Amino acid sequence: MSMTAGTGERTHAPRPRRPRGELPYIGLAIPGRLTFRVWQRNRDVFFQLWRAELLPPLLEPLVTLLGLGLGLGAFVQLGGDIEYVQFLAPGILVAFPMFVATFEALYGAYFRMTQHGTYDAIAATPVRPEEIVAGEIAWAASRMTLNTALIALVLLVLTPWLDLVGSPLIIFTIPIAFVTGVLIGSIGIAFTSRARSVSQLSYFFSLFILPMFWFSGGFFPIDELPGWAGTVAWFFPLTHAVDLSRALVTGDVYAGLIVNMLWLILAAIPAFWLGLAAMKQRIVK
Amino acid sequence: MRKGSTEGVQAAGTADGSPGTTTQGSSRTATPREQAPLIIEARGLVKRYGDFTAVAGIDFEVPRGEFFGLLGPNGAGKSSTIRMVSGVLPISGGELYVGGYDVHYQDREVKRLLGIVPQDDNLDQDLTVRRNLEVYARYYDIPKKVAAERIEEALELMQLEDWGGAQIDNLSGGMKRRLVIARALINDPDLLILDEPTTGLDPQARHLVWRKLRLLRERGVTILLTTHYMDEAEILCDRLIIMDRGQNIAEGNPRDLITRHVGREVLEVHPLPEERAAVLRDLEENVGESGRIETVEDVIYALGVTEEHHRRVEGLIADPYRVNFRRANLEDVFLSLTGRGLVE
Repeated sequence: MSMTAGTGERTHAPRPRRPRGELPYIGLAIPGRLTFRVWQRNRDVFFQLWRAELLPPLLEPLVTLLGLGLGLGAFVQLGGDIEYVQFLAPGILVAFPMFVATFEALYGAYFRMTQHGTYDAIAATPVRPEEIVAGEIAWAASRMTLNTALIALVLLVLTPWLDLVGSPLIIFTIPIAFVTGVLIGSIGIAFTSRARSVSQLSYFFSLFILPMFWFSGGFFPIDELPGWAGTVAWFFPLTHAVDLSRALVTGDVYAGLIVNMLWLILAAIPAFWLGLAAMKQRIVK
Repeated sequence: MRKGSTEGVQAAGTADGSPGTTTQGSSRTATPREQAPLIIEARGLVKRYGDFTAVAGIDFEVPRGEFFGLLGPNGAGKSSTIRMVSGVLPISGGELYVGGYDVHYQDREVKRLLGIVPQDDNLDQDLTVRRNLEVYARYYDIPKKVAAERIEEALELMQLEDWGGAQIDNLSGGMKRRLVIARALINDPDLLILDEPTTGLDPQARHLVWRKLRLLRERGVTILLTTHYMDEAEILCDRLIIMDRGQNIAEGNPRDLITRHVGREVLEVHPLPEERAAVLRDLEENVGESGRIETVEDVIYALGVTEEHHRRVEGLIADPYRVNFRRANLEDVFLSLTGRGLVE
């Protein structure tokens, strides 16, 4: 290039050759550094609205923990010397934050994609569509992680009275929440990319998220369910997150947890790819 | 405060300790940027959506510093063209270079050169005016200090300097438009692309936007504009192309296009129903080979006519306000070329 500079003969830079007849590239680019810019944008908006964004999702699990745990718990007999509220705590630690990631990937993403034109605005900059989607998924996972961390703090505060947390291993529920958030957020984004109206989003919620919320072993043990229900539950990401959370909160760790961990990670990878591909298609049109 | 400092670290980290502009600057000299006198070069550019061909192989070139217009009725392929130039819509065929870069392979390089003003105001509703610009500057990896300077400059240029802290909802339509333009200037673009920038604005706001665009042009910014307003194109554009059904059907500067396609003067007649036949007959008999008669609904246009024709028609129409002998304008060219009927 230095050869041509200054000679004034060339009007154009050397061009990369495109093979004849080759179709424009429609594959996926690997999200790069600018993913973080999208994440930052969401973070900035979040801190502007944090009172509305943070408090309700924290009060909900607390009310549920005390209402179900102490209220209903008075009538529940579990095997062993464990109180129902103690059984409930590890489930609540991951199940409610899952809602936050879901809402971010469904409604948050939908409004940014359609009404607000946020994706279009970003797509006009050097940020690639893949980076927009990756940033969105990372943000959904971050919100889940943040809420798990905050609920863990609340559980720790309540521990002197209710004996909820039995092990410092609870700290590891934070990375578990992130992986689960990537998985749920990716599936959510993929679904959102196909949605033609807001009301369609509630299908995802009613048919997938809500059954998963109840039947993942967070509110009652699923070993007692009929065999087929157990099989279905095994395919719920949250089931594995709850198993891990329960072990880490109680300190009752066993080798089988590796399977749960691998399940989440191995599911998150294709889900992430699916989310990127599906939403990119919608952004590029 | 703490947030800000972590961001600073991030920005510095990305630029390897040296300011981001330096890195960008050195890559500029190593790239075709300063060498390519053509900012846009399209050859046989095609866009297909399934079986539908929106852009059917157009050629055009835009040299640096030009104010270039892209006109055409709805569905002519303007938006597809502009979106391909912007690097957001993959091309289906042909070649397209922006600033010397192939949009297909060097999308990021292309987008760094562009400032985009889309049809709809897609500002961030949740952020203030200034924060909108700060967040946008980050997408370009512009270091914080440089961004802060450019933001103040852009706000001032667009007469929004007192509105930095305002919420987007509190801005008028014209202010939102100006803010979108300010946002498009944040990366100091080589090419500013405006997609119907004054649609929906009141006349005062339109004139203000026009003034700002002319100012930018004087500063050497190359501008690509699409619009439905022919007066806008006539006033602003150095050169333009008119597209219809995905084809480039006319190209030139507004004045030449008018002379070439419709002549100097136009006779526009709004006859009453009972007068219509007589007017048409008279015009058909007297407007020779050099002229042309066109009708849209109940309006008759006679192109390439003289004062003589005007006087004859005036004699046939009771109300003189229904006859208008005037200079031809770009709208006459547009209607004449793309059809005077409604395009659906």
